[in-house]
Amino acid sequence: MFNKLCTTLLVLLALCGPAVAETTIVFATDATWPPMEFVNDQKQVVGYSIAFMTAAGKEAGFTPVFKNTAWDGIFAGLAAKKYDAVVSSVSITEERKKTMDFSEPYFTVRQALIVDKSSTAKSLADLKGQKVGGQIGTTGYFAIKAAPGVEAKSYDEVGLAMEDLNVGRIAAVVCDDPVAANYALDKYKDKLKIAAIIESGEAENYGVAVNKGNTETLALINKGIAAVKAKGLDKELKKKWIGQ
Amino acid sequence: MPEPGITKIDVGDGAAIPTPDDKGLVSAWWIALTGAVVLLVLLPWLKPDPYLNILRFVPDGIVVTFQVTVFSITLAIVIGLLTGLGRISRNRFVNLAASLYVEVVRGIPLLVQLFYIYYALGRFVRVPDMLAAVIAMAFCYGAYMGEVFRAGIKSIDHGQTEAALSLGFNQRQTMAYVILPQAWRTILPPVGNEFIALLKDTSLVSILAVADILRRGREYASESFNYFETYTMIALIYLLITLILSKLISIMEHRLSHYERR
Repeated sequence: MFNKLCTTLLVLLALCGPAVAETTIVFATDATWPPMEFVNDQKQVVGYSIAFMTAAGKEAGFTPVFKNTAWDGIFAGLAAKKYDAVVSSVSITEERKKTMDFSEPYFTVRQALIVDKSSTAKSLADLKGQKVGGQIGTTGYFAIKAAPGVEAKSYDEVGLAMEDLNVGRIAAVVCDDPVAANYALDKYKDKLKIAAIIESGEAENYGVAVNKGNTETLALINKGIAAVKAKGLDKELKKKWIGQ
Repeated sequence: MPEPGITKIDVGDGAAIPTPDDKGLVSAWWIALTGAVVLLVLLPWLKPDPYLNILRFVPDGIVVTFQVTVFSITLAIVIGLLTGLGRISRNRFVNLAASLYVEVVRGIPLLVQLFYIYYALGRFVRVPDMLAAVIAMAFCYGAYMGEVFRAGIKSIDHGQTEAALSLGFNQRQTMAYVILPQAWRTILPPVGNEFIALLKDTSLVSILAVADILRRGREYASESFNYFETYTMIALIYLLITLILSKLISIMEHRLSHYERR
């Protein structure tokens, strides 16, 4: 009897073993940013960043869990330790570096200006006195605010800004170029167009954000990112999700 | 203390809800007001970064909040009056239309209505953001206001209507010259309360990218990451505004009840 119990326990332990040995990292993501991270028709959180981190997890030996979180307050949740990391197309900026640590860059973006097909605007300077929308707390929105004479309008989700542009309440939207392409070349292809890429001088990189001093998690993520890049997996993912 | 022969249900300990003639300084209202004012002055003074910066960032949001509130309540009163009259109308069709409106609006959450009017109807009619917010708020509150008006009109004794009719007034004149002027006294205090409720609910329009107090706060927080400090200030600003308004309304209520005591 005792022997049997022991065997059962051993089998159970063996079954649990691999799952326990592997670290789980909980990532927060605002899944309203296609094609980088979004919810598909099966209600799963998918996208380039998600696929990238899943691949990184396989390489570095961690299980990623993705938690769909509203962008507004995503960093407050990180500070409150509700999750271990944020992978939500977060551009690495000096301002953000003051409050959190970033992984190695895993994607490079530029800011794109989207306007109505009939518009002749070629830059933010052409839109003086008009309303331009962006998602709250994003580098795109900061670019609008920095443009003199343009009225900046902040939205909870970039999709809501696109819809307002579609019905004509605002003159333009500024957001990351893969997202801009997703909306202007796909969803609203009859109505909107990408007018220009805003040159900000420096390249803008996406990184995974973790709390300051969380070196353990950061090391694992960096290891994964490096392995994915070394194997060239990122190129496959780009082809699949972004089409370049 | 309950007076003999009268059943009285005390809500809370009694001290928290002062009667209008309460002159005491130690009431919940005074503590809340003093606390809010002291914090709103002390925090920016002691720690200008970020508190003073937040206070500098938010003011145009306060203006927008008041604009949305005042326009919405004005429109809601008009809608409410029509709905209230419709609900007591003997005309079958008018009555049904007013009742249907109230039923539909009361059954849909305000947040959903805001999204609906802003984004769903935006596909067909191009309305500016502020106007869309005002229409949505007024549409919702008009239904509640309609019930307030209906109750107010019903509170006037039916004998008044009979007296007016017997003096040769027609239905419309009875309503306009006899019933409504008296009903106002019953209606005004709840309208005041709806005003405060609406002011607080305008924080929902921040999802429509209307730059009200909450939106401005969120914009500040998303850039500076000072979530705790920002939302503390936002909460205090709302508290201060509603405390002042609720006092004004209780004063108004007090003045109006003067007639009844004579």
